[in-house]
Amino acid sequence: MELGEDKLIEELEELKKSFSKTTDKIIKDLKRQNKIMERSDKRQRKEYDELQVKLKEVEELSIEIEDTQREVVFTMGAIGESRSKETGNHVKRVAEYSKLFALYYGLPEDEAEMLKQASPMHDIGKVAIPDAILNKPGKFIPEEFEYMKKHAELGYEMLKHSNRKLLKAASIVAYEHHEKWNGKGYPNGTSEEDIHIYGRITAVADVFDALGSDRCYKKAWDDEKIFSLFKEERGEHFDPRLVDIFFEHLDEFLDIRDRFKDIIE
Amino acid sequence: MQKLHLKVTNYTPEILLDCDNGIISMVGKSYPENTFEFYKPVMEWLEDYFDGNAKEKTIVNMEIIYFNSSSSKLFFDFFDLLEEASSDNKLDINWIYDEENESALEAGEDFQEDFEELTINLVKK
Repeated sequence: MELGEDKLIEELEELKKSFSKTTDKIIKDLKRQNKIMERSDKRQRKEYDELQVKLKEVEELSIEIEDTQREVVFTMGAIGESRSKETGNHVKRVAEYSKLFALYYGLPEDEAEMLKQASPMHDIGKVAIPDAILNKPGKFIPEEFEYMKKHAELGYEMLKHSNRKLLKAASIVAYEHHEKWNGKGYPNGTSEEDIHIYGRITAVADVFDALGSDRCYKKAWDDEKIFSLFKEERGEHFDPRLVDIFFEHLDEFLDIRDRFKDIIE
Repeated sequence: MQKLHLKVTNYTPEILLDCDNGIISMVGKSYPENTFEFYKPVMEWLEDYFDGNAKEKTIVNMEIIYFNSSSSKLFFDFFDLLEEASSDNKLDINWIYDEENESALEAGEDFQEDFEELTINLVKK
């Protein structure tokens, strides 16, 4: 009996040792796990902080890039306009009209916004037209008019090499803003929906604004005269859908004209 | 016994286990998709190496610049294995870190603290 008890004690001692060894190991492992987790959490927090800082930098940079692009494009448009002695507000109004047309036509918001930014460049080709022609009071003789017409192609040539979406859109606008729905425009005599929607929109926007402004060769038209011309040119000069949009939302177009009115000194 | 050389990848370090010259070296990042599976051949090689194939002196160079938490766990296992081998083998262990890499330094300090039997040298690059 005693012998049996001794053996039992011996076995229990062994068990105790092995148990203690195992618990030591478990405790050690748990401590390690905790440490790993702590370190990992700390690092994660740091990485996330850094990521947010970087992200913010990237966002700011991309805003900066977009703003710069917008400004450069707008300035280029203004340069084109200033060559023909028009006010900076003309490009602003054409830009706003173009966006409004684009939205009602059904283009997505970001594309409409892009067109708004691109449309001021429609006359950029005019930088290459001599002053004597550009600012001539009165009517052009046919040779002068032919020369003047080149500004569409010239603008396109200037912009077409860019891979930027905005500049590509601007090149289309410059190229096609004198095309007419009936195919009697220039430079290519393209008609109807073969004319890019950007070209069709800028054409209406540009003409609407030009008619309502004094220019070196003419006085501003009154609204009734403009509206009757638009009705006549519906499906001739202009995309009929765009003319419909114009009359349906006339108040909004006139509101833009009011907001960006030229200040007469 | 053969050398084992694992080339560096985007997620795993370059690993050189050189039994001829007694060099164990890991350089790079460690965040494999399955850490324990990736390091399995490494751990098996090490067991084999310290099972009578080790050189008189073994140099261990660890230069891990980035690691996930399961790699961290794996390195504890790795040092466990070294600690066990250290009673019969002469080991020269270097944990190499870049001054700007705070987490690499901290990890080295953790290993130093945890493995009292081992001499882990923290080596600033």
